[in-house]
Amino acid sequence: MADTYCPDCKRPTEVVFDHSAGDTVCSECGLVLEAHSIDETSEWRTFANESTDNDPVRVGGPSNPLLADGGLSTVISKPTGASGDFLTTSLGRWQNRGSNPDRSLIQAFKTIATMSDRLGLVATIKDRANEIYKKVEDQKPLRGRNQDAILAACLYIACRQEDKPRTVKEICSVANGATKKEIGRAKEYIVKQLEVELGQSMEMGTIHAGDFLRRFCSHLGMNNQAVKAAQEAVQKSEELDIRRSPISIAAAIIYIITQLSEDKKLLKDISLSTGVAEGTIRNSYKDLYPYAARIIPSWYAKEDDLKNLCSP
Amino acid sequence: MAARRNNPSGIVPTTQNIVSTVDLDCVLDLNHIALHSRNSEYFPKRFSAVIMRIKDPKTTALIFASGKMVCTGAKTEAQSKLAARKFARIIQKLGFPAKFRDFRIQNIVASCDVQFTIRLEKFACTSHGAFSTYEPELFPGLIYRMKQPKLVLLIFVSGNVVIAGAKKRDDFYTAFDNIYPVLAEFKK
Repeated sequence: MADTYCPDCKRPTEVVFDHSAGDTVCSECGLVLEAHSIDETSEWRTFANESTDNDPVRVGGPSNPLLADGGLSTVISKPTGASGDFLTTSLGRWQNRGSNPDRSLIQAFKTIATMSDRLGLVATIKDRANEIYKKVEDQKPLRGRNQDAILAACLYIACRQEDKPRTVKEICSVANGATKKEIGRAKEYIVKQLEVELGQSMEMGTIHAGDFLRRFCSHLGMNNQAVKAAQEAVQKSEELDIRRSPISIAAAIIYIITQLSEDKKLLKDISLSTGVAEGTIRNSYKDLYPYAARIIPSWYAKEDDLKNLCSP
Repeated sequence: MAARRNNPSGIVPTTQNIVSTVDLDCVLDLNHIALHSRNSEYFPKRFSAVIMRIKDPKTTALIFASGKMVCTGAKTEAQSKLAARKFARIIQKLGFPAKFRDFRIQNIVASCDVQFTIRLEKFACTSHGAFSTYEPELFPGLIYRMKQPKLVLLIFVSGNVVIAGAKKRDDFYTAFDNIYPVLAEFKK
């Protein structure tokens, strides 16, 4: 519903937009003000002929505002099977040789998409990461810096900004070749560039153990009771003076909770799913053990069970 | 040196390391220096300078072919100057017309303990968040980049504070005076 001037009624009237026909119609007199309006939402599908192989009605993917021309280019591809015709095979090669300002961007976006796919991230995070990469690339060309590290760092920052942080080790596992150190350095560099561009500081909250707990628990297949108990325990542990990385604390709490239940998880399994070394989990367990009674909720384990907990 | 500034807490940061540079003002033959002195190493493929060490004050110098020298490891400014002079003397004895031009202290690193634990996550969330970087995954300390004076402080949960990047003693005294009340706010 909108208000526009209707030439028949000679005054602004309520106007209805009919999506199916693409008409803008005056609700008072029925005059069609605009017909054939172009629908700018994403392409819809024609279920009439559900052809499994490429439907020639569709042309290209959704328009990408980050690319220079919105991704509106045509690519000549090699015809399937027949490859005798000199012209068709060469045409593809000649087109690729031409200068394409977006080529590196498209390549980078593809890499980010692969990485976020492997981590199972939503499209929002992937788009954020693309935006961040474009912003950084605009300011200072990143030639000479480790490209993989920069892309991994973009993804890391995007996850953080969406309040769904991923540990650097998790990002490391999908980034080919980038080490934790390189990703850390790239992240500092990108944050500095973004601050310069924004003109003000970009706020990214510190990570907390609770952010990762849910995910680690589902990797290990813990039951709901255990997950709830672990979350409560993490909340209580924030007040204690424990000088360890939040990830290590989360891993140690998972270890305690699973030791208290019937379904005991091996240190090796916890280490694999959280990315924390076994020795570190043991040390964090040593730090947490004195406070076990305080942080483990009473509805989950009673005092005697806590006594059964093996002393470090 | 002016009298030590008084901080209401009575804590004074102590210098740990001083980096200074001096220009010997003559071209040097690094091979000759490396061959004719005991306490030096020179691997041109790895690094294009002679690395020389003396026992007292316990310092290390990087001596470049252009005649410039970097002296590190001294604990006080006076020691740094003395050490640089000793290195210049060694170069003189080896037969080069070394002078002592433009002695400048480039970096002073100091540390102190505020004696209480600090809540770093809270610190990073406040108005000081613009200057702080706290990534527990990457580094256990909070990196605070102070604008005035321009230096970097590493603040740890234990209450230890490392101040780096000062060119003068006063700089890091001022920095500590600035940061102490802020840290006291976030005492655990």
